[in-house]
Amino acid sequence: MSSSVLHTEKLCKTFSSGGLQQHVIKNLDLEIRKGDFTIIMGASGSGKSTLLYALSGMDKPTLGKVFFGDEDISGYTNDQLAVFRRKHCGFVFQSIYLLENMSVFDNVMTGALAVQKNSPELVKKAETLLKKVGMGEDSWKKYPNQLSGGECQRVGIVRAVINDPQILFADEPTGSLNSASSRDVLDIFTELHSKGQSIVMVTHDTRTALRGNRVIFLSDGAVVGEHEMPPYGTDDARARRDGLQAFLDQMGW
Amino acid sequence: MEKIFRLSLANIRKHKLEAAALVLLVALCMLLLGSTLGTMAATRTIFPQILEHTQGMENFILIQEKNYDPEFKHIIEEDERIEEVQTAEMLYSMSSNYLDREGKEQALYLAFITEFNNNRIQKTELDTTLSEAELAAIEHPITMPYTMHDTMGYRAGDPFDVIIGTRKYSFTIAGFYDTLILDQVSSGVKMIVSDEDYHLLSAVMPNYVCIGYNDHRGQGGETLFFDLLEKMEDYSNLDVKNGIRGMVYEDLEIGVTFMLQMVMKLLIAMAVIIILAVAIMIRFRITGDIRDQIVHIGVLEALGYTSGEITLSYVIEYLLIALAGVILGTAGSFLLIPALFHVFEMISEHRGTAVISVLPVLLGGLAILAFVALIAFIRARMVRNYPPVRAFRKGQGDHRFGKEHFPLRNTKHNVHLRMALKGFVENWRQNLGLTVCILISSTAVIFSFIIFSFFTGNMNAIAASAGVEMSDLCITLMPSADAYAFSEELTALPEVRKATPTANENLMVTAADYNEPMFPISFKDFSVTENIFPASGRFPEHDNEIMVTNMFARHFHLKNGDTLTLEHLKVQKKYIITGFVTSSTNGGINLYITEEGLQRLIPTYRPDGVEVYLEDGADPAEFRYTLTQKYGRSLSDTAGSAAEGVSCEERIRAEAEQQIAEMMANYGVTHAEYAIRYGDKVISGDSSGFQIVSIQNLNDILQTQLAGMSSAIEMLSTLFAVLAAVVITVILFILMEATIRRQRKEFGIMKGMGYTSRELMVQLAMRIMPAALIAVILGTVIGVAATGLLTSYIGRIGVNMPLVILADILILAYCFGCAYLGARKIKKISVHELMTE
Repeated sequence: MSSSVLHTEKLCKTFSSGGLQQHVIKNLDLEIRKGDFTIIMGASGSGKSTLLYALSGMDKPTLGKVFFGDEDISGYTNDQLAVFRRKHCGFVFQSIYLLENMSVFDNVMTGALAVQKNSPELVKKAETLLKKVGMGEDSWKKYPNQLSGGECQRVGIVRAVINDPQILFADEPTGSLNSASSRDVLDIFTELHSKGQSIVMVTHDTRTALRGNRVIFLSDGAVVGEHEMPPYGTDDARARRDGLQAFLDQMGW
Repeated sequence: MEKIFRLSLANIRKHKLEAAALVLLVALCMLLLGSTLGTMAATRTIFPQILEHTQGMENFILIQEKNYDPEFKHIIEEDERIEEVQTAEMLYSMSSNYLDREGKEQALYLAFITEFNNNRIQKTELDTTLSEAELAAIEHPITMPYTMHDTMGYRAGDPFDVIIGTRKYSFTIAGFYDTLILDQVSSGVKMIVSDEDYHLLSAVMPNYVCIGYNDHRGQGGETLFFDLLEKMEDYSNLDVKNGIRGMVYEDLEIGVTFMLQMVMKLLIAMAVIIILAVAIMIRFRITGDIRDQIVHIGVLEALGYTSGEITLSYVIEYLLIALAGVILGTAGSFLLIPALFHVFEMISEHRGTAVISVLPVLLGGLAILAFVALIAFIRARMVRNYPPVRAFRKGQGDHRFGKEHFPLRNTKHNVHLRMALKGFVENWRQNLGLTVCILISSTAVIFSFIIFSFFTGNMNAIAASAGVEMSDLCITLMPSADAYAFSEELTALPEVRKATPTANENLMVTAADYNEPMFPISFKDFSVTENIFPASGRFPEHDNEIMVTNMFARHFHLKNGDTLTLEHLKVQKKYIITGFVTSSTNGGINLYITEEGLQRLIPTYRPDGVEVYLEDGADPAEFRYTLTQKYGRSLSDTAGSAAEGVSCEERIRAEAEQQIAEMMANYGVTHAEYAIRYGDKVISGDSSGFQIVSIQNLNDILQTQLAGMSSAIEMLSTLFAVLAAVVITVILFILMEATIRRQRKEFGIMKGMGYTSRELMVQLAMRIMPAALIAVILGTVIGVAATGLLTSYIGRIGVNMPLVILADILILAYCFGCAYLGARKIKKISVHELMTE
């Protein structure tokens, strides 16, 4: 079994609105293992994204703790969390969130230069990664509004992994893409995972979930079920799909 | 219309802070404009009010008694252009001092007159807070011009000590009065004293006759004035022009109103600067708002609103904001007008009536509203470019194919700096407006700073602009003394660095072509001078060469190489102009001529003054004492002192010397001898021991003369700097706020990637720095150049570049600080909220 990269203790997240309190995550204990492609699933409002943002330091828990290795990040200030994110995490969003006023290459470099100084090696790495996800040299000077959704998301992935994050978070990365683009993007995630990248992905799409090796099911802010699979592509696809479907059926999906 | 009005109000409510900042700027602009326009009419009352208060003569000739002939009055009376003539006796000295409140001796040109004589040339209306009994109890009463109350802070009942020579004359201030002549600390003040005190002072001060005449409110002007002098010279065969002081109606009016007009122009200029800043901000705001609300605008258009109606909603929005500012500013200006008018009274050193003119204030307010409406309309018309479909696409007509600026792959050191530069270039239109705002503000600050540091700095800087030589002590010698021999003797003294013979101050010649009096400043060789510099051309070297002031040259359209005819006692000689000097003294009538050149015109001319330059660390006051020890007391010192001595013989000798000094000082006696029999002895002596007429410290005189101007400039400079700081602050805060609102999503993404709030605040603040840097550099260039505009009024203004650069750095730091603090709202951007919205 892989060692833990992240774990939570009694994690709670509560939102207040108009005097009413909504407990989205409730006393959640969870461990994210190094090298796992962890899929978080659940119904809408189950707390998937909230959990992802709490795990990644995008948001602070109301109660409980989040440990990155042995380091408790739950008490960090916003700026400390920012430094934590840029050093250790990568993010891929459903809405992609490329910087509209920057070219493809600059979007990638913005992420890289937040962590490290510019160097020919860094530029070379950005070029290699972009080529690897199918973004040829002719597209590097283009702006996001000149790209398709799939192309944008590929740039988003390169931006997320350029710093070799210890853990890559993805929130519905194929949510706004057509099926062909979705497949391409998921192939990239699969390849990253095959090379040892730890990934935590939120999705409600079964085909996307098949790419992971561990599926956690959330309901009302608590983990209600967990399903383990071999790495994608190393087992029988039909058996894999049936196994996951059975688990989801069991969860009432 | 109602729906448009609602749209405008909704927009104001949505951006309350920015609206409030604009209201503040408009209110400031209106405050300056309103209070200046509202005071303008009141300032026009100052000069007429002096005429009304004094009800006397409007032109004056101050002539030394020894040069005066009673027939002069008849000569003037006979001129058909003259309405009325009066004469009055007066005492006047340019080497008099007074003791300030700390007991320190300060230079002040003083004139003394009795009430009887004053009433001959003007009405004397005593303004006092003392009772009849208190007034009666004063032993030595003195009545002063209002300026002594308003600018020097003296009050009725205060003691006032005058120093003539080495002797102190103590007075008690009885009250104050208005006078048209000798009314300003800078040019001299006319004090009314009792007949007894006048008699006492008349023995120790030069006696003058003041001829006052009316010529239908100045219609005769300078032409009449010079005609009268010519007639007097023709009659007397005397050099009447030499040593006189003339004050004609026009000069007196300019003297009272010139500084006021300057100050009012500066205040209006500042108001214009602010309204320009407002215009630029309105453009920012409307552009930003249209971009922000483009989809909303598309919806409104789809619902049937025309682009004209939406444009109108913006115009109304900014009109409402401007109206609030104008109302606040108008109310403030009505409160400020009395205070500002009092400042104007202080600057003019006279009093007027604080009449508030409402109409100009209202017109000023309407002008601001019209300007704001026009700017808002022009900018808001860009709504026409966004029909609904294009608006729904967030204004994009097509894909972006813009040039990529500052690609990050080329980042050398600091990614934040590079991203700031990207942001700067991408928002170049906005930054252009910002550059203009900071440029205007920094120009105002640098200009004020230069003027402020110049006037509050050391006297050497001012001396450089005075166009006269500013040695440590200026000695006027007796006509019998040899200035060269005296200079040589002085140079041998250890305290003296240099002693240079020069012309004394009473000599006057005339520029015959223009009938203008000129005051010769003469040295054997001008290269020995330390404060006179040719602004263009070169020093005169030969006896047919002269330099004149820039002001004189401009007035009479003279250029290098032109010929000027000088006249003295009917003798005329032609001189070639070799250069021009910027000069803030003597109204620009300084004439720079070599000793030989002056002797061509006045063959009897010999230098009768010595400029003494002391070694570093030598005290002028102590050296003055050394001089009296070595050469005996100066004529003015001796004439003004009591005869002192231990033995009877010494007392007799001292008394005799005092009598001789008085005769020489007041009656033009050039040589006197005495022989007094005392018992068996005969005590004798002569005037050969008197070599010095007077010793002046020009530094002290200049300091007193510039005191009023310095305080006014200090106040105005501070006001300018504060206003510029307010403008910069408000603009940068609004700009940062608008930028963060517009780029909230981008900042959220960057925070998500791990950029801290502090890094993003620095990036955002650095974005404006290229604009600020360009603006400050240009502002400095323009500010320094603008000081040149004042050259003709106050001479060449020395610019202390290291201090100016320091001021530039402070402005840049201030801009950065404001932008950084203005960007603090980045902290409130929540990554999580942004990602899940």
